[in-house]
Amino acid sequence: MVDASGDREISSRDALLDAAIRLISDRPPSVVTGRELAEEAGVNYGLVHYYFESSGDLVKEARLRHGSRLVEETMVGGTRTIPVEQTISDREIFGFAANMALEGAYDDDDVTRPVFDAMLRMVVDADPGGDPVHHRATVATIVLLQLGWPVFVEHNVQGLGLDSNADGELIREKFFVVLQSLYRSVGLEVDW
Amino acid sequence: MTDAHRPRGAVEVREALVAAAARLLGDSAPGQISGRRLAEEARVNYGLIHHYFGGKEAVLREGFSRLSESYAAEEALDTAVRVSPFSLLRRPDFVRAIAYASLSGEIDRTHVVHPTLDTAVDWILGARADDDQTKVRVDVGMATVFHLARCLFASTVDPWVERDGEVQDMAAQVEERFVLILRALSLGLDPGTAARGEREPFRRSSAPG
Repeated sequence: MVDASGDREISSRDALLDAAIRLISDRPPSVVTGRELAEEAGVNYGLVHYYFESSGDLVKEARLRHGSRLVEETMVGGTRTIPVEQTISDREIFGFAANMALEGAYDDDDVTRPVFDAMLRMVVDADPGGDPVHHRATVATIVLLQLGWPVFVEHNVQGLGLDSNADGELIREKFFVVLQSLYRSVGLEVDW
Repeated sequence: MTDAHRPRGAVEVREALVAAAARLLGDSAPGQISGRRLAEEARVNYGLIHHYFGGKEAVLREGFSRLSESYAAEEALDTAVRVSPFSLLRRPDFVRAIAYASLSGEIDRTHVVHPTLDTAVDWILGARADDDQTKVRVDVGMATVFHLARCLFASTVDPWVERDGEVQDMAAQVEERFVLILRALSLGLDPGTAARGEREPFRRSSAPG
């Protein structure tokens, strides 16, 4: 039903999910409380339990919304790749994915992968008749690098005796060159 | 817990605390681990943290070193019969500890030793003695990002890779590509070529390092 109260109901629920996405981008789902969530969303605490049966339910719904928002907004309905600059600076992409992965929130079998699917469709369109193994491996590698780089690069820089400031330019340039090579191998250009 | 199971004496208490820190670091950000939690996990008195380590920071650092060193020891044993170059898949606790520390902005607090990275860099520096050293380190760092990401996001990526019903053994074939890509990244070769399944030749430098 699309009456006035219905609209408000839908937007409170989405407001809670968007708040969950923001909070989980900073820390794992298990350390986000219902009260923090309600406050972040600007809605009444009671609504958290009204809309979501359990924290597991909420986390699952947040994951679904996160995936569909990435495809619809960031990938413009699956017509462009996720800009590299955005993946490495936007915690709502890599922080959310990492915190969810740390708590096994992607483990259940019925999980959909809207971002992977959208990227694969773009690859198949750009390279029709290409090798499906190449396509799938490339999409997976690009996603892994775009999510993993912001999480792990600092650890590696320190462990390798590099300097974030002095060598920063070289490190970023390498990352871009690697992604460019992978994207080009399937006929796509990188979206910075 | 009965007193019979409580660690006693300097050696046992220190060991219990470091082992407890190593376990807890795999499940939460360093800043989330209180001294009380650490003492409880180690089953020692809270005051002993200060007595033996001067504070919980030192315990956490040693816990992180423990994770890193035990992984390096396992990997050294493993090199002769290497099953997968993605050796961290068997040590999700270490991968998670790095991710937790990094995401909470605390990588400086836990970072101490990296025996495995050191070994990798030494080997590759030897094999690529003609290349610029910093460039080689950057390449190894890129390969290590891929290795760590592959392990942290295994349950995100693997079910999707396996889902393609049209190609037989899709998962195994993609895994082979991952291995080729990891090799290409480490050696500074072209990753796109590796993704296509081509093993680009690599000529080991003849010059001594």
